[in-house]
Parts: sequence; C-alpha cells; structure tokens
Amino acid sequence: MNLPLILASEGFGLNLNLFETNVLNLAVVIFGLYKFLPNFLGGMLERRRKAILLDLEDAEDRLQEATNALEKAKQELSSAEQKASQIRSDCKSRAEAIRLESEKRTVEEMARIKQGAASDLNAEASRVSTQLRREAARLAIEKALETLPGKLDKVSQSKFLTDSINNMGEG
Amino acid sequence: MGSLPFFFTFAELEVGQHLYWQFGNLRIHGQVFLTSWIVIGALLALVVVGTKKMERDPQGVQNLLEFLWDYIRDLARTQIGEKVYRDWMPFIGTLFLFIFVSNWGGALVPWRLIHLPSGELGAPTADINTTVALALLVSLSYFYAGLSNKGLRYFEYYVHPTPIMLPFKIVEDFTKPLSLSFRLFGNILADELVVAVLVFLVPLVLPVPVMFLGLFTSAIQALIFATLAAYYIGEAVEEHH
Repeated sequence: MNLPLILASEGFGLNLNLFETNVLNLAVVIFGLYKFLPNFLGGMLERRRKAILLDLEDAEDRLQEATNALEKAKQELSSAEQKASQIRSDCKSRAEAIRLESEKRTVEEMARIKQGAASDLNAEASRVSTQLRREAARLAIEKALETLPGKLDKVSQSKFLTDSINNMGEG
Repeated sequence: MGSLPFFFTFAELEVGQHLYWQFGNLRIHGQVFLTSWIVIGALLALVVVGTKKMERDPQGVQNLLEFLWDYIRDLARTQIGEKVYRDWMPFIGTLFLFIFVSNWGGALVPWRLIHLPSGELGAPTADINTTVALALLVSLSYFYAGLSNKGLRYFEYYVHPTPIMLPFKIVEDFTKPLSLSFRLFGNILADELVVAVLVFLVPLVLPVPVMFLGLFTSAIQALIFATLAAYYIGEAVEEHH
C-alpha cells in the first residue's frame, strides 16, 4: 500500500504489488485454463475438423462417383443416339422400300383390275352375241316351222331337194 | 483505507471510482472505453487473423471461428426462427462475442497491473452504461425487426391473446432492457467485487475457485444476454394466427 499508492496519485503507471493486483491467483486460474481448455475446446474443435474433413472426403467421393456416372451416362447417351440415328435411317430406307413396294403393287393391281375388266367386258359381249345369235336362230326356226307346213308341197319340195343336191355338188 | 490496520493493507478495494474524461457536458468513464477498445481490437484481430487465409481444412483460429459461427447460428436459428434469423445473426453474434470476451477479459487479464489516476480497468460489462447501451440496442433491434417484418401489424402483438395484455406488454418494453442490462451488469460487477473482496481478505488460494466460478457465470451471462436478445427479436417477428 506504500509505493503503489504514491504512484496512484501521480497518474498512469504500473502497479507491481503482487497481492493488490491479484496476479498470483490470476496466474493459477490462467494456468488451469491453459491446462484444461485445450483438452476441452481443442477436443471439440478437433472433432469438428475431423467431421468436416470426413464430410469433404465423402462429398469428394460422391463427386467422383457422380462424375463417373455422368461419364457413363454420356457414353450411353452417345451410343443410344447412334443407335437411334441408325434406327432412323433404317426406318427411312424401310419406309422407302415399303412405299416403292406398295406403289408397285398398286400399279400391278390396277393393271390387273383393268385387264380383268376388259376380259369381263369381252366375255360378256361374246356371251350376249352368242345368246342373240341363238335367239335369232330359234326365232328363225320357229318362223320356219310356222310357215313351212303351208308352203311345202310336192313341187317345191322336189325343187328344194334338187337345189340342195346342186348345192352339194357345187360344194 | 489508509487508516486500516496493517494486515488489511495487502490489497486495496475501491468502488464507484472512475477515470473521467470530459467531452463538453459529458463525463465519460474512460476506463470502460479503454477496455472496450481493447476487447473490440482483440476480437477484430482474432477475426482478421482467422479469416485471412481460409482453407478447406479448417485449422487453428479458422476452426475456432467457424465453431463460434456454428454456435451463434444455432442460437439465432432456434430463437428467431428459420425465416429471418440470417438478418439478425451478425447482431446476436456481436453481442455474444463482445460480452463474452469482455467478461472473460475482465476476469482473466491482470488489469490492475496498469494503474490509472482514478478507478481501475476491468470488464466493460461491469459498468452499467455499457450494459444499458447494449440492452437499448436490443430494444431498438426488436422494434425494428417487428416493424420491418410485419409493418404496423407488429402492434397486434400487444393485444395478442386478449387486449387485457396491452398494459403488460407495454410495461414489458421497459422491463426488457432494464432486466437485460441489470442482470449482466449485476452479475459481472458482483463477480469482480467478490473476487476483489476475497483478495482483499485472503490474498491467496481462496479466490481461485471463486474466480473459476466467475468465469463460468460470465460465460453464462454472455449466453443469456445473446439468447434473450434473440428471443425478443424472435418474439417480435413471430407470426400470430
């Protein structure tokens, strides 16, 4: 209380009284903290750091995995694209072929149908002409049978026979 | 003290003595400013050193700062809520770190080695002016938080469950900063005084456990102040339905 108090009235300065400044107890407390805090806080910080590093590693692994998967997917995509383009070109050629084929078939069919129609027409025409001819012949015979009994007498019959025989001789 | 018998004169105890600085009409407690600047400087230095060379592998100071950041973020998030805690995390973190470092600095640094013309250096938070300033900042903050988040609907909070609550809520606006500031100031000053009285009476050994206890309560006080500040802000921005 002697020297420091003199200093005290002077102004700013150092107080080096060990008891008054509580330096000894403070030293003990600080030493204690120095001993225990690193264990406590340091352990906590170290655990935190480890966890973060682990997380980072994990994330990096996942990044790697994802990159690999992306690479693979890209490859698959390109192969699929290739396949798709191949399929597309195949399809195009096949479509072309099918179109040509069907065109050809249509043309053939049309020709066939035309032909069929023509032959049908011919057959019908010949059938109708045959029928007409037959009808005409039948009518002629009927008419002949109708008129014949009246017209036929001995003279004309012998004349007819003679004519026929003459005709046969000419023929 | 000079008249005390010799065996009482190992140490000196003075309360209510300040190093006054005169600024116009203001008389400022200089020792509080000195220690505050030291605390602020220490914190700034720590932050600057810790963030100067950031690496992916957090080591040393960077790891410590990140740990503190995590801690403060968790605190702010639990109290304020997911939606706006980001806006208030710097404020809560500043409060917590400043009060914590002030308290521990006051308890651990041998301030009394430096002799002032009047008063003595110590924790800035052992001065009522510091704690009142901090508490008023908290008051402003929660008003601002409420008004900026909800506009005038913030005042629904005053009649929230029933209009009967209105006087209590109004009184609360005054008791909040009052209790915040007095709690912190009282605890820290009491710690310092208990240690000082013990040192005055029994200079060795006995103050040590009390000093450890003081460190513990100091840390708790910093946590309480920050938590309550966050809680008040959270209360102000909370949506009532």
